[in-house]
Amino acid sequence: MSATPDEAPEPPVLRPLLPALLALFGIILLLNLISFAFGQAPLTTLRLALAGTWGTPYGIGQVLFKSTPLIFTALAFEIALRSGLFNIGAEGQVALGSLAGGVVGAHLPAGTPWPLAITICVLAAALTGAGVALIPAVMRARLGVHEIISTIMLNRIVEVLLPFLLVTVLGAAALRTVEVVPGAALLKLDAVFPALRGSAASVAFPLAVGLAFGVDALLRRTRRGREMRWIGINAAACRAEGIDVSRRLVQAMLLSGAIAGAAMVATVLGYKGYYELGLGAGAGFTGIAVALLGRGHPLGIVIAALLFGTLQQAGLAVNARVPKEAMDVLAAAVILLVAVANRAAAKPLTQVTPVVAPPAPASEEAAS
Amino acid sequence: MDAPVIRLDAVTRRFGDFTAVSAAEATLSPGEIHAIVGENGAGKSTLLKLAAGVLAPSAGRVLVGDDALSPATPAEAIRRGVGMVHQHFMLVAAFTALENLMLGAEPVRSWGRLDLASAREKAQAIADRTGLQVPLDAVTETLSVGERQRLEILRVLYRGARAILLDEPTAVLSPLEADELYTTLRALADDGATIAVVTHRLDEVARFADRVTVMRRGKVVLARPYARAGAGEIRGGDLTRAIMGGEPPLPFARPAMAKDAAIVLEIKGLSLTDAGGQRRLRAVDLTVRQGEIVGIAGIEGNGQSELVRALAGLEPGATGRVAVGDRDLSRLSVRARRASLGVVLEDRHEEGLCQEATVGDNLVLGDLGDRRDGAPAFDEAAAITRRMQRFDIHPADPARLAGELSGGNQQKIVIARALDRLPRGPRSAAVLAQPTRGVDVGAAAAIHAAIGEAAASGIAVVIISADLAELRKLAHRIVVMRRGEIVQSLSPEATETEIGRAMLGQEAA
Ligand SMILES: Nc1ncnc2c1ncn2[C@@H]1O[C@H](COP(=O)(O)OP(=O)(O)OP(=O)(O)O)[C@@H](O)[C@H]1O
Ligand SMILES: [Mg+2]
Repeated sequence: MSATPDEAPEPPVLRPLLPALLALFGIILLLNLISFAFGQAPLTTLRLALAGTWGTPYGIGQVLFKSTPLIFTALAFEIALRSGLFNIGAEGQVALGSLAGGVVGAHLPAGTPWPLAITICVLAAALTGAGVALIPAVMRARLGVHEIISTIMLNRIVEVLLPFLLVTVLGAAALRTVEVVPGAALLKLDAVFPALRGSAASVAFPLAVGLAFGVDALLRRTRRGREMRWIGINAAACRAEGIDVSRRLVQAMLLSGAIAGAAMVATVLGYKGYYELGLGAGAGFTGIAVALLGRGHPLGIVIAALLFGTLQQAGLAVNARVPKEAMDVLAAAVILLVAVANRAAAKPLTQVTPVVAPPAPASEEAAS
Repeated sequence: MDAPVIRLDAVTRRFGDFTAVSAAEATLSPGEIHAIVGENGAGKSTLLKLAAGVLAPSAGRVLVGDDALSPATPAEAIRRGVGMVHQHFMLVAAFTALENLMLGAEPVRSWGRLDLASAREKAQAIADRTGLQVPLDAVTETLSVGERQRLEILRVLYRGARAILLDEPTAVLSPLEADELYTTLRALADDGATIAVVTHRLDEVARFADRVTVMRRGKVVLARPYARAGAGEIRGGDLTRAIMGGEPPLPFARPAMAKDAAIVLEIKGLSLTDAGGQRRLRAVDLTVRQGEIVGIAGIEGNGQSELVRALAGLEPGATGRVAVGDRDLSRLSVRARRASLGVVLEDRHEEGLCQEATVGDNLVLGDLGDRRDGAPAFDEAAAITRRMQRFDIHPADPARLAGELSGGNQQKIVIARALDRLPRGPRSAAVLAQPTRGVDVGAAAAIHAAIGEAAASGIAVVIISADLAELRKLAHRIVVMRRGEIVQSLSPEATETEIGRAMLGQEAA
């Protein structure tokens, strides 16, 4: 009999979590394989990785610290993505934003009270990030240049611009900026939770979590955010209904850049106290994976960031026995797993419609 | 190969906890044209998809010949000789007709080289046999809708189907093209093919169907032979009653219009040249008076869509004057124009709806932050409720995704958005392209009533439709467009033949 009860009502919670669970399972399997390949007993590596991350309060603090910039960059990618844009430029936006935030923070009067100092630094970083994003935004809105290309190119430009700025304009000898004023340094989390002592986690983490929910509210509840989402779904329909599509796209891109730039609160203000070349590098790209794994849900993004933060921290923990690059392999595998799992969770197979398979919009099904 | 009998044996299909088709029985036999009718959302498309293996039943069986269709996939269905033409075209626009035709069933020579020659030969043979002529080497996006429709059917035949299931094939066709299509289908049926056609046009059932199945709320409520051409066992009214499960809607009463009513919509010398240097609109002049409904007839591709887009403000290259009331719109943005001009574009999928957004969102798309002079800020929740109620959008749940609604209800969203926003009275105009395309009798009546009501309130209305009967019913005056020009103005009493002649540019007899 051909009857397939293919859509037994599923518990509503499980489906969104499915990709994450699948990814987790894949990670553990792969970790075992890798450590085996390096002549290690699989369980030992796993135990080491766990102990170095979620096993101790310090480890937890470090995971939170590593996850924080990822939340920012994931949100940056997410905002653009919902509007139908691919902002691959977070990498450069983070870097220049961090530099700007660091420089401004260092030049504030020494006695600046902290609320003011931090606000100014974050604003400087966010504005710089937005400034970097302005170029691809305008190129897209006015000239139709695809933002994937322009943001990737800009990443390269920023990459060479940074050492140049540090050395010539800022005259720094050690490819780093001067220390920020004390008022600009963020509160460390161990001041609140003494157990976390020594870890680099700061209040940037709760800030990032708050931001995740803020972004979600923006996209769901505000006119600007909702119009962005609608444009991401069908820009032609929005244009026909009089929504200023170009303007909204530019705004989305600027917001995306600003959030990416603000990622420096975690690294510059919350950790080092200054910007040095390479600080926060990689967060831009990892943020893309985090956003995709988070599936557009604020909590999903936070959890995905924690997952990637865990992997990064675990890499350091197992470094003595298995090269920490193994964790990069794992992270890459996660991205692949997520891509596969997302597809699988998106739609039951029976709904893939076309008789022949020309690319049909996924929503075709219900359209009749 | 003989065409298979397709039998649906107590077939049920659920989507989540919603039952789209419920214990449906139907038999599609060779040699017959089988019409399937019913309201929007009745489950017609779902039924067809079940028969073609596109969807698997949740319960019950689909039998092709003597055996169950298993696995329930399109590939298996086509292997057993069953092919489906979907409600929306599934063609790759950048491919040639021939490439689309062989897509997924490409004949190859050694080393995987495409065997275009044999594909062409086979396609041509089928085309010659059935009369489904399509320029095989033309790029698909340059084909007319009618040609694309033929291409879709040709493709199904090319892949060896003897049972052809068509989902609203005539919705996008002009009456002439529709008649041609049925001639072809009749020839196929006479040749032993099994044909099923979903349609909302009941006159087609009366003229062409051998058998009719009426669906209502997922159930088959009527299945009968339907003798063709006049000698029907079911009269039109009975069919309508079965479809609606109640009395047929009141006939449309065209609102009266004062002879000397003031001019509301004024189009003067509207011209448009496209990027390729083609002149799409040639100095179109049209005035529509207060409360007047003007219908625009024309063969698809003669400038109608460009006219609507230009009026909406979506063609920055358009020149000429457009005014509503005393307000000159020519230089205004899309958004500014909307305050006095409601527009429904032809393609609700491309330019009307955000399918993955909710019904509520779609109902206020572009309205957020709107303020009328002196009025308080736009009350979104009230607007959504009012629009859903006034246009009876079903299911009445603003949180549903628009893409999950049936075609007719999607159309109601688009119309509701355009009409509800307009201030009543002689300072507004509405331009509606294909307002009831793919919409059931009841919904069409509701949309017509809304149009009539808008006109009665003084709004100047322009309707563009491929359905001449609709134009003759609604309009006070019918103008004919050809090659980007308005070439003739006719009274709604003109016969379809007369209008058809004008559309083709033949001298009136
Ligand atoms: N993929 C889906 N998910 C959820 N609901 C669906 C889906 N496909 C169809 N439906 C629902 O099933 C019902 C029947 O839909 P179907 O498309 O078969 O209607 P129809 O009779 O073809 O309508 P129309 O004349 O408007 O094309 C509708 O209420 C629709 O909302
Ligand atoms: Mg349908």
